[in-house]
Amino acid sequence: MKKAFLALLVLLGLASAQTQVRISGWGGTDIAIVSGLLKEVVQPKLDKEGIRVVYEPIEGDYTQWLFNALSAGTAPDLFYVDVFWSESLFATGRVAPLDPYFSKGEIAEFLPNLIQAFTYKGKLYGIPKDFNTLALQYNTDLFDEAKVAYPNQQDTWETFEAKLRQIQAKLKDVAGLCVVPDFARFGAFAFATGWKPFDEKGRTVLDQNFRRAFEWYTGLVKRGAARVAQDLGEGWTGGCLGSEKAATALEGAWIAGFLRDKAPNLPYRTTFLPLDPVTKKRGNFIFTVSWSLNAASKNKEAAVKVLKALTSPEAQQWVLERGLAIPSRKALANNPYFQRPGKEPELNRVVFQGSLGQGGYVYPFKFLSYGGDWMRPINEALQAVMTGQKGVDQALKEAQAALDRLMRK
Amino acid sequence: MRIKARTLEALYALLLLLPFLFTLTVFFLYAFVRALYFSFTDYDLFNPPRFVGLGNYLTLFRDPLFLTALSHTLAYSFVVTALQTALALLVAMALNRPLKGITFFRTLYYLPSVVSTAAASLLLLWLFQRTGLVNQALSLLLGHLPHLGAFALLFLAFQTAQVLWERRRGLTVPFFDPALALFSVPLALLAAWGLGAAGILEPWEVRVEIPWLPTTARFLGIPYPLWAIILMNTYTTIPTLMVLFLAGLKGIPRTLYEAAALDGATPWVMFTRITLPLLRPVLFLVITLGLIGTLQLFDQVLFVGGSGGAPLEATITLAYYVYGNVFPSGATPRVGLASAAALFLAGLTLLIVLLQRRFGVSERGWSA
Repeated sequence: MKKAFLALLVLLGLASAQTQVRISGWGGTDIAIVSGLLKEVVQPKLDKEGIRVVYEPIEGDYTQWLFNALSAGTAPDLFYVDVFWSESLFATGRVAPLDPYFSKGEIAEFLPNLIQAFTYKGKLYGIPKDFNTLALQYNTDLFDEAKVAYPNQQDTWETFEAKLRQIQAKLKDVAGLCVVPDFARFGAFAFATGWKPFDEKGRTVLDQNFRRAFEWYTGLVKRGAARVAQDLGEGWTGGCLGSEKAATALEGAWIAGFLRDKAPNLPYRTTFLPLDPVTKKRGNFIFTVSWSLNAASKNKEAAVKVLKALTSPEAQQWVLERGLAIPSRKALANNPYFQRPGKEPELNRVVFQGSLGQGGYVYPFKFLSYGGDWMRPINEALQAVMTGQKGVDQALKEAQAALDRLMRK
Repeated sequence: MRIKARTLEALYALLLLLPFLFTLTVFFLYAFVRALYFSFTDYDLFNPPRFVGLGNYLTLFRDPLFLTALSHTLAYSFVVTALQTALALLVAMALNRPLKGITFFRTLYYLPSVVSTAAASLLLLWLFQRTGLVNQALSLLLGHLPHLGAFALLFLAFQTAQVLWERRRGLTVPFFDPALALFSVPLALLAAWGLGAAGILEPWEVRVEIPWLPTTARFLGIPYPLWAIILMNTYTTIPTLMVLFLAGLKGIPRTLYEAAALDGATPWVMFTRITLPLLRPVLFLVITLGLIGTLQLFDQVLFVGGSGGAPLEATITLAYYVYGNVFPSGATPRVGLASAAALFLAGLTLLIVLLQRRFGVSERGWSA
C-alpha cells in the first residue's frame, strides 16, 4: 500500500515537471493513425524533453468546433487546418505564423506546392502533414471482360472517353464512369485547359476554356460514356467503382481504405487523369491538411517541438509504410514503398506524383476566403446541365452572374 | 419576525422554479440579448464586433437567397400546417370509432412519428431518387394504363348489368351499391388480368425519370425538393397531432351526439356543430405547434441538400439560412447577419402565431 502511494507521488511529480501540449484533429480513422504515431514515434522522442502530448480528437463538425474554440480561447496548442477553409482562418490572426520557428532549409524539405498552399500574405501558417490529389482508378476485370484497353497516362479526354463508351456499349449494365456534379472533381479538367479559378484581379471568369471542359464533362452522360452517380444510387465515384456499377473512378488515395473494406477482392489499378487534347496537359487539385499553431498557445516552444516531431521524416515514414496517408516531404518521393507491387502502392504513387510535374496545372483545393459559396454556382450549373434541365449557355450565364454577385459583396 | 404564509408559499414556489429559471436566463435570455446585440454589429467570432446599426437587416432584404428562404419558409409552413391538421383530424375521427382491434390500428398509425428525422430523410432520398420507388411506381402505373382502363370499363359493365337485373326484379338499388360492387370488382379484376395474360392488352413502355431532388423546377410555386420534404414531414407529424385530437375527441360527451341524432342531425352537421367547436382548444394547440414547428424547418434541408443533391436555392429555409451564415463552409463566420436573420425568424414566428390566434382558430371554444 505504502509502495503504491509512493509510486503515485512519483508519477504526480513527473507529471507536474512535464509540459503539456494539447493537439486536436478530426476523428474517424484519423484517431487510430495519430494515436499510433504518437505512441510509437512521437512520444518516445519527446519524453526526453519532458513534453507530454495530449491528443483530443473531435468527432462531429470539426470546423465549427475549431472556430468556436479559437473564438472562446479554449483551442488546443496544435490543430489540423484543412486548406479548404485555411484562408478564412488565417485571416483572423488566431493562428501563429511558423516562420520564426522553422529555418528556410527545414521548410524546403517539404513539397513546395504544399508549403505554398499554407502560405497566406507571405507567411507560413501550417506544416502540411499529408496530402492527396485526384487519380484515375479502373477495374481491370471489367476492362478485360469488355476487351477494352486499359486507360493510360497518354490518354486524352477523347481517347479516354472512347474507352468508356466501349465499356458501356459492351457491358450493358456497367457505366464507364459515374460522374458527380461537383467542382471538386470537374475542376481538375477545367484546370487542364489552362483556366484559372481567379484572375489577377481576384475575379472568376468562366471563359471559353472553362466552357470547353464543362461541355466535355457534362456531355459524358449523353454521349454514352458515363452515368450520373446519383442515378446509380451512389454519392461519389468511388462508391460506383466499389459496387462495380462503374468501371472507373476519379478519387484520391482515400479510396484505398474504402475499397479494402467494401470490395477487398476487386482488382483495380491507378493511372493519371487524362490530358486535355488541346493543351496536352492535365490538371489536378491538392487536398491537404496542416498542423497549425495556436497564436494564443502558452507554450509555443514545446508545441513547435511536437509539431516538428509529428511531421518528421520518421513520422512520415511510419505513416507511409502503413499506407495510411501520402507524405508531404520531398525526400520520400523515392521511398521503396512506392515501388512495392500491389494496387495500393501504385495508387499512392500516382496520387503523390499528381502534385508534381506530371500533375500539370495543379491548384490547392481552396477558393480565397469564399469557400463553398464559390463552388455552389458551378456545382448547380453542372447539375442543371447533367440532368438536362438547362442548356450550357443558360447554366454558365447564371453561374457567372451568381459568382459576380458573390465577389461584389 | 414572522413571514406571512402567502409570502412563504411564493418563496417556496420561487425556490422550486429556480433551476428552470436559471437555465432559462442563461440559455434563453442571455443568448437572446447577445443575439440582439450581434444583429446590430459586424462580427466574425474573432475580431471585436463593429456597430453597423440596421445594416445587417438591410443586407438581408437585399440578399436574394434570404428572400428565397423567406418565401420557402412561409409556403412550407402554411401548406404543411393545413395538410397535417386536416389529415390528423380525419385519422383521429376514424380511430375514435368503437371498432374491433382499434388499438392495433392506433399503434400502427402512430409508428411514423417514432422514426427519427434523419432516418425519415434518408428514406425520402431513396424514394425520390431518379431510379427510386416513386419513379418506378409512376412508370408501373402509367405503363399499365390500358389494364386500368379495361378494369374501369369492365367494372362499369358488370355493375350496370347487376343493377339492371336487380331493378328488373323490382328492387331499387343505387348505382354504386357496395354489395353489388363486391361482385363486380373481383370479376372486373379477374377479367382485366385475363386480358393481360392472354396477350390482348400489352403494358406500355413507360420510363418515368423525373429528377425530384436535384432540380429547381416548381409546382404551384414551390420547388420539387421542398414538396418532397412537405410530404415527408406531413407524414411523420400526423400521428403526434392525431394523438392530441384523439384525446380531445374523448373529452366530448357522447350524450351530445345522441341528442343530436335524436333531432335528426346529419354526420356533417354533428361534425361542424359539435365536434369542431368542442375541439377548438385542441385545434388551437395543434395549429400553433404546427406553425412554430414548420417555421423552424432545418434538418431535412440539411439532408436533402447534402446527400440528396438538391440545390440550395430549391430548399433553403430561414433556419438553414441562419446556420449557413454562422458556419459557412470554408468561409469566415457572418455572425452579425445570422443573428439578424435569427431575430427576424423569431419575430416572424411570433407575428404569425398572434395573427393566427386573432383571425384564425383561438383557444376559446363555444363562442362560435
